[in-house]
Amino acid sequence: MAHSLIDHASALLLGAGLVLWFWGTWPLLGTHSYLRKLHALSVADTLGSLLMLLGLLLRIPGQWPLLTLALLGLVVWNTIFGYVLAACSLPPRPHPATEQDSAP
Amino acid sequence: MRRLLPLLLSTAFRLALWCLLTSDLSQLNLLIGLVVALLLPRARSRPLPVRVLLKATLRGLLAIPQAFAEALRLVMAPAMVEREDSEPATDRALPLLVFLDVFRITLTPFTIVLGLEDGGRRYRIHTLTPASKEDSEP
Amino acid sequence: MTVLLWGMVLALLIPIAVACRPSDVWDRLAAFSSVSSKVALIILVVSVMRDDRMLGLVGAIALSAGNAGMLLLANLLRGVER
Repeated sequence: MAHSLIDHASALLLGAGLVLWFWGTWPLLGTHSYLRKLHALSVADTLGSLLMLLGLLLRIPGQWPLLTLALLGLVVWNTIFGYVLAACSLPPRPHPATEQDSAP
Repeated sequence: MRRLLPLLLSTAFRLALWCLLTSDLSQLNLLIGLVVALLLPRARSRPLPVRVLLKATLRGLLAIPQAFAEALRLVMAPAMVEREDSEPATDRALPLLVFLDVFRITLTPFTIVLGLEDGGRRYRIHTLTPASKEDSEP
Repeated sequence: MTVLLWGMVLALLIPIAVACRPSDVWDRLAAFSSVSSKVALIILVVSVMRDDRMLGLVGAIALSAGNAGMLLLANLLRGVER
């Protein structure tokens, strides 16, 4: 009983992570401002992947050292990489979009 | 003691990473990990204010559930507003503290740090927030 | 699990498409970083499906070390553009 509950919870987490992946990666195809794409990517790649890793952790608790390391690496690296991408792309565009953007 | 603390902290951190990577707690493996942790080059150590550091780490950890709440609000939002903002930096003397601050701000999907401005006293921040009712219906 | 894997591969196709078409170099770099973390996650999921610890180790190392090169590349690009 408890086993199937854990299975369901892990499936739910994995599915939610996949939804965030799609939501956050889709804007890459559009013509929004660069920084806006970065915001969306941080949702997809950091938070979506975090949910997926938690789902995997529920599925195989025996491998926790490995998954914890992956979790730590993912969160720290992706976040800092988002910052570096944002900061490095800045000089050629001194004033990135401050206009109001209303997507459908 | 205050001089020794950064050394202890960084060594403990590296040893913990080593143990996670190898997932093996035998004595020999711990010894190898300790040697590696001590031999890796380290930054110039200086006294660390432990309380400030703990507080910054705690705030960084608290940012994770907050990030999920903000992501949910962004997914639900029909329209979004972009603008530029700035926030006072807590302390720019310690690179570790600046790192933790940048991590905390960038992790949440509403905000990304673009760099330091005003001679390093403020963070330049780009924000993307769900538009409120008045914004979307001008 | 198989459905999940197909969904992940589909999501992986989006940044690959962005990286392949002609666009701004920064857009491409963002797409490549997205590809790298997505592929590492797919490796981890496959390792769980096949119950293979070594594959999982590869995925974890790719996650924690893979983006370092990208970071250097971004800094280099900024230096070139200035």
